[in-house]
Amino acid sequence: MPGSPSALDTDQALCLDGVTKIYRSAGGDVTALGGVTLALREGTFTAVMGPSGSGKSTLLQCAAGLDAPTSGRILVGGVEMSGASEAELTKFRRGRIGFVFQHFNLLPTLSVLQNTTLPLRLAGKRIDRRQAVEMLTRVGLGSRLDHLPSQLSGGQQQRVAIARALVTRPRLVFADEPTGALDTRSAREVLGLLQEAVRIDGRTLVMVTHDPVAASYADQVLFLADGVLVGRLANPTAAGVAERMTLLAAGVAHRATAAGRA
Amino acid sequence: MLALARTSLTRRAGAFLATFLVLLFGAVMIMAFASMLDTAGQADLISSGGEETLTTMGSVVGGWGLCLVAFAAASTIGLSVRQRTAEIALLKSAGAAPAQVTRMVVAEAGLIALVATVAAVAPAYAAGSQLLRLLVDTGQVDAHVSFAFGPIALSIGCGVTVLSSVLAAWAATRKRARSRVTDLLLDAATDTGQMTWKRVVSATVLIVAGVYLGVLTLTALRDKGPDAMPVAGQSAILVSVGLALLAPGLVRLATAAAGRLFMHRGTAGYLMVQNLRHRTGQAAAALMPVILFTGIGTGILYLQLVENQAAAAAGYTATNEQNNIQTLNLVVIGMIVAFACIMLINTIIAATLQRAREFAQLRLAGATPSQVLAAVRAEGALVVLTGIVAGAVAGMCTVVPYSVVRTGQWIPTVTPWLFVGIVAVAVTAALGAGLGSARRLLRRRAVEAMA
Ligand SMILES: Nc1ncnc2c1ncn2[C@@H]1O[C@H](COP(=O)(O)OP(=O)(O)O)[C@@H](O)[C@H]1O
Ligand SMILES: [Mg+2]
Repeated sequence: MPGSPSALDTDQALCLDGVTKIYRSAGGDVTALGGVTLALREGTFTAVMGPSGSGKSTLLQCAAGLDAPTSGRILVGGVEMSGASEAELTKFRRGRIGFVFQHFNLLPTLSVLQNTTLPLRLAGKRIDRRQAVEMLTRVGLGSRLDHLPSQLSGGQQQRVAIARALVTRPRLVFADEPTGALDTRSAREVLGLLQEAVRIDGRTLVMVTHDPVAASYADQVLFLADGVLVGRLANPTAAGVAERMTLLAAGVAHRATAAGRA
Repeated sequence: MLALARTSLTRRAGAFLATFLVLLFGAVMIMAFASMLDTAGQADLISSGGEETLTTMGSVVGGWGLCLVAFAAASTIGLSVRQRTAEIALLKSAGAAPAQVTRMVVAEAGLIALVATVAAVAPAYAAGSQLLRLLVDTGQVDAHVSFAFGPIALSIGCGVTVLSSVLAAWAATRKRARSRVTDLLLDAATDTGQMTWKRVVSATVLIVAGVYLGVLTLTALRDKGPDAMPVAGQSAILVSVGLALLAPGLVRLATAAAGRLFMHRGTAGYLMVQNLRHRTGQAAAALMPVILFTGIGTGILYLQLVENQAAAAAGYTATNEQNNIQTLNLVVIGMIVAFACIMLINTIIAATLQRAREFAQLRLAGATPSQVLAAVRAEGALVVLTGIVAGAVAGMCTVVPYSVVRTGQWIPTVTPWLFVGIVAVAVTAALGAGLGSARRLLRRRAVEAMA
């Protein structure tokens, strides 16, 4: 069961075992993750929610191998994420993990098609143009192959970013507030595409979001506060999620005043 | 606006350092040469020959230095404004009027130039007195002449540095400040380095003038011997500056050629070609100082070597006047080539450090740090190669005519190692600066660099 520390099944699509992350800086240490343990089944869609600064991005970045945790283990498809060096982590990510960012992160000098095939090229894989075009057609950009990112709307750029994240056929896909910079309609399109990757292609998706409606696309919602998992909601509805978030925010405020008094 | 300019300066100290350094060295060079005019101004103290040497040194050599500094100011400030296109778009979308944006950037440039000039006074004083000592030691100026550093050095040094910076900032900002915010954002993402027709015309005029002086050396000055040197020497400078102005076009040519060769061979070549296609202006900014350094260095150094060879062959012992010219040439070469080299390193560091976000995005798309470095290396190599070829062509405009006139040979038979040395310095400086800066950027994790 996700979020449960006991009976950890390390063969799942994604498994975190006691993951902590402490940012050390001159102004003092910040514990962004205070020991997160969870396991996610293949082909599931999980939303991660929590107040700002609760460690959601840190959790995603550590799980995706974009950053190294301070302690704990991360296993992807039963294989432990290894290697401290950036090059080793990069090679581990390739073909296993796709990532969609809030601000798209497309290369401004590459066309839509070139951006989409970039991960294949970097991994030294054969570039199947037909497959890439198919992927872009699926996200509705089959007619914009040679345009530069700056010639597209935000929603269109995010759809290119999704095509790029999926082109290596990764089993695991992470998305950090993928609809955070989009209007409502573009957001729905993007969520539909992400959901399709789970339902049709059987990929495992983890998405951070602030939007209860976005979270309702997922199979389950995990709630994070102050770097630890504090709750889980299966088969979420927008109203149910909103209610939990309100409670959570009140809880955080309560704990903060309690800590302030102490 | 001045207050805003000052805040922006203190917040982005690192970004302004490159501009500051180039202006500082430029101001030192101009003021050191101009102080020869101050020294010559005490005319009653000087015997006739010495005064002429000082005036030549101050006006002719200083004049060329002045052109180079004006050019350097325009190119570094142009680069820094181009790199701030996105920031200008932000200011405009926050409600800044075009005139306000222009005033802010111009005020910033003026402030930096002013500070650079003030900081340049002490080193310029030292360099100027050193220069006079050199002239006295080689017997070209009387020993009793005392060094003066006064109104001419200060006014020319300050005037040229501040004026060319302000003008460059104004010219570079004006168009951007008037553009629409959306066009600016597009421009910030890609920069095709379109050349204006004014630029193409100026470049053509300079190149034609340089070639004309080369032809003049071959024809009208055929029998003048060493007296043809100043004219022949200017060929390389003019053609170098002309070709440097055409840098965006040269980058496009080189990219087209490289596209055929490397586009389908490996990731580094692919990324290089894509980047140069859409960031032509940035690459052109790095190419310019490579052309100036190689062109002027090759032209003037080989001019002197050919002359020495011809004089030795004729069995002359060097006269005072020939010594005079040689000292002059060496000082000019030393100063100008060192300046071009500093400008080269500065420009490349500034242009590379600007790419933190791009490198991080590549990393997030799955590039290892060494793949990013390989792309940077390929790009640097192509730019340096283009600069060396263009510089060699510019240098030949001086060397070939003079060699024909003095030794009857099209290609001088003097040592080729000097050229190898110039190439080695250009390659080391450019690739060292580029790769060093890129390595520094790659030490941070990509997710951190994006924040
Ligand atoms: N690079 C960093 N250096 C120091 N502290 C950081 C860094 N990145 C994040 N943090 C801190 O870690 C905590 C969690 O941040 P983050 O994961 O970005 O939160 P969220 O995405 O939930 O808003 C915050 O307190 C934040 O200030
Ligand atoms: Mg976040």
